Amino acid sequence: MSSIMTQSLKLYVRTADQTRRAELDLDAGSTGADIIQAAVDNWALPADTDYTLVNTTTGRALAPGEDLSKGVRPGDTLEVQPVLVAG
Amino acid sequence: MLDPRRAQRYRRHDLIDWFSQEQVSAARVAVIGAGAVGNEVVKNLALLGCGTIDVFDFDTVELHNLTRSVLLRESDAGRNKAEAVAERARELDPHVTVRAVPGDFWDTLALGRLQQYDCAVAAVDNFEARLRLNQLCLIARVNLVNTGLDSRWAAVESFPFAATADAACYECTLPGSAYARIAERYSCGGLRRRALIERRIPTTAITASVAGALAASAALRLGGDEEPRARRRLIDTLGGAGSASDIERRAGCPGCSPYARPPQVVHIRNRWATWHTGKGLDLESVAAQPVQLSDALITGYECADCGPLEEAAQYVGRRAAGFDDGITTCPRCAAPAVRVEIRDAFTVGELMERFGASRVPARFALAAIDGRTVCFNLEEE
Repeated sequence: MSSIMTQSLKLYVRTADQTRRAELDLDAGSTGADIIQAAVDNWALPADTDYTLVNTTTGRALAPGEDLSKGVRPGDTLEVQPVLVAG
Repeated sequence: MLDPRRAQRYRRHDLIDWFSQEQVSAARVAVIGAGAVGNEVVKNLALLGCGTIDVFDFDTVELHNLTRSVLLRESDAGRNKAEAVAERARELDPHVTVRAVPGDFWDTLALGRLQQYDCAVAAVDNFEARLRLNQLCLIARVNLVNTGLDSRWAAVESFPFAATADAACYECTLPGSAYARIAERYSCGGLRRRALIERRIPTTAITASVAGALAASAALRLGGDEEPRARRRLIDTLGGAGSASDIERRAGCPGCSPYARPPQVVHIRNRWATWHTGKGLDLESVAAQPVQLSDALITGYECADCGPLEEAAQYVGRRAAGFDDGITTCPRCAAPAVRVEIRDAFTVGELMERFGASRVPARFALAAIDGRTVCFNLEEE
């Protein structure tokens, strides 16, 4: 099986309330959805909530399937934010 | 020019150098949802002297709404929310035109009407309504402000569809899990699940008032000379921390990619047997044109065991959203064996054949013609 080597990125990932924070080495091919899923699993975030990812260093929201090679640089902080439904 | 009494009312606003009472008084805003956030948005717009506010809601007031709804009173229990909210808002400022539109906005907010607003505010409580309003605003090229909250957080997103054709939409950052959650609510591709337990999300007057303040400001574009772009603001109402982020258009976004070029809206008579009359069209080629209806329709209803059912006449040709999965139980053998066919994709010829002189129960039909989305608006005769 062939594999494609992609660049690794050292990033910070945190929750919106900043009670959870991690420094991670991530493959640049990882997507926003991968990071959100890992955050939900590892930090036991409420599974009945949906989340989106924001690069707080650049002030830009990441699209769900977007990989980190676009618009994310080493040292950036990604914030897992809730998608709020009630009105 | 405002009349003297009105000018007197807004005298303090005139001291604010970035605030134009004239622009605010000319603004027309549709508020979709008269719940906690809808109350706050309408209250703020009315106090600011917004020219016209139309409030859309199908729901009725319940006592548990009163802890978060600034314009409602105990005596309003049982009333339509839009009517109760509009009445109270008129008391705040009799110079502001506030109208109630009871009913589901999908049925009451026609495209032609939507195009007359400067902004639509989504103060609803579910994903489906947001997706629908997002689509309507994309077609009508009307600015959209979306709101959301829980017991701690308040979020407001602005999508300046009127100002720029390149603005991202509500679906550009919507995660796949939200679509999965929507899908859980339906079976057979469009029938509501009866057994589903609705998730109740607690909110407070605090989060509602923060969201309502930001939403009213965004709807009126207060202080808004900045470059129009889609933005998200999230506020932690416990500590006051907040963030603002830009939302960029997503390639292949299911919401806005069909409208990468502003859609052409064509108003046609919702009678498919005669809609082409006098247009000089080549009917044979037009009949083969694929279209996607705004609403999924039931096109087949047959029991796997009993075969064709005479009850099919009650369902076929009607909106799937009007029924739940109880109709999959066969009225003859009582087994859950009815195959319900649901579609939203047709050709023009199929619609002409199926509906003839009858009205198609959909708001609009979308067609890709010469690389552009054309929206055939069916709702206005």
